[in-house]
Amino acid sequence: MTAAGFRRGLVAALPFLLSNGAAGLVMGLTYKGLGLGAEHAILFSLLVYSATAQAITLSMWAHPLPVVAMVVACIAANSRYLLMGAHLRQLFGGLAPRKMLPTLFLLADASWLMTSSDADRNGPDAGYLLGSSIPMAIGWVGGTALAYAAPLAANEPLGLAATLLPTMFIATLLPSQWKNVRSLWPWLTSAVAALLVARFVDPSWSMLIGGGCGTLVSMMEPKDG
Amino acid sequence: MDDLKVLGVICVLGVTCYVMRAGGYVLAASMRDDGIAARFLQLAPGNLFIAFIVGGCLSGGLAGLVGTVVALVTMAITAREWAALGAGFGAALAASAIGL
Repeated sequence: MTAAGFRRGLVAALPFLLSNGAAGLVMGLTYKGLGLGAEHAILFSLLVYSATAQAITLSMWAHPLPVVAMVVACIAANSRYLLMGAHLRQLFGGLAPRKMLPTLFLLADASWLMTSSDADRNGPDAGYLLGSSIPMAIGWVGGTALAYAAPLAANEPLGLAATLLPTMFIATLLPSQWKNVRSLWPWLTSAVAALLVARFVDPSWSMLIGGGCGTLVSMMEPKDG
Repeated sequence: MDDLKVLGVICVLGVTCYVMRAGGYVLAASMRDDGIAARFLQLAPGNLFIAFIVGGCLSGGLAGLVGTVVALVTMAITAREWAALGAGFGAALAASAIGL
């Protein structure tokens, strides 16, 4: 875990101040509409810190609160984190748990994807994971707080920024993941499986199942060297 | 709704999400480095990138697809993330404005 890696991750993830800020703002406006107080909304975004889990539990909001169903929904929506965490163990297994376990509190899809890409280019550095996580968390929690502090309403550019910027950012990392022409079949499989799962099952499962199917095809390829 | 109950639910959900984040890391300690699971994890990132992008494009509609393609092409040409994001977001906004 180096300071250079931390700085590199922090700078690389600065665009997420905008996209997560916009998404957090939209989430905050929704909480506000639901009648949730500012302290609770900010704490929600800080502790749960998951757009998928927050959106799902928000849709289940009722009186009395269905706590067990909400917990099950959180586990299902965030099961991809188990895979990401296991992959991070491969990268940072030598690091002391007292350094890694607090860092994992801020683990997000984008910070994991960025860290995986950076590890390919510069070698594994948990500082990068921590550095890239910070602008994302500030954007998300700050955006939620801003919804209560400023007289704002959701609009089209805001919604578009929240939806599209993370996808575009990950798309910019894609060239670094291209190994050779053998990447083509697994990637096509991932895309088609993700498309089918999002269309016919549930969009929140598309990344895990789509990526899993593509990885199984990758495993059928002979090993390099 | 009782403030304390809401606070309790938020804490329970927060702990659940953290257990999911740290769980894979902790459980993977018992995994063999040369096993099938380890090879799966080594090969997973690129494929998960693609699945993530497909999901994002679907939720962003045609404007999202246009923006993502423009961002990807700009990145391949310039190798500058800021240029790629600016061009992609501009293209998505323009596509949305003309009703795509």
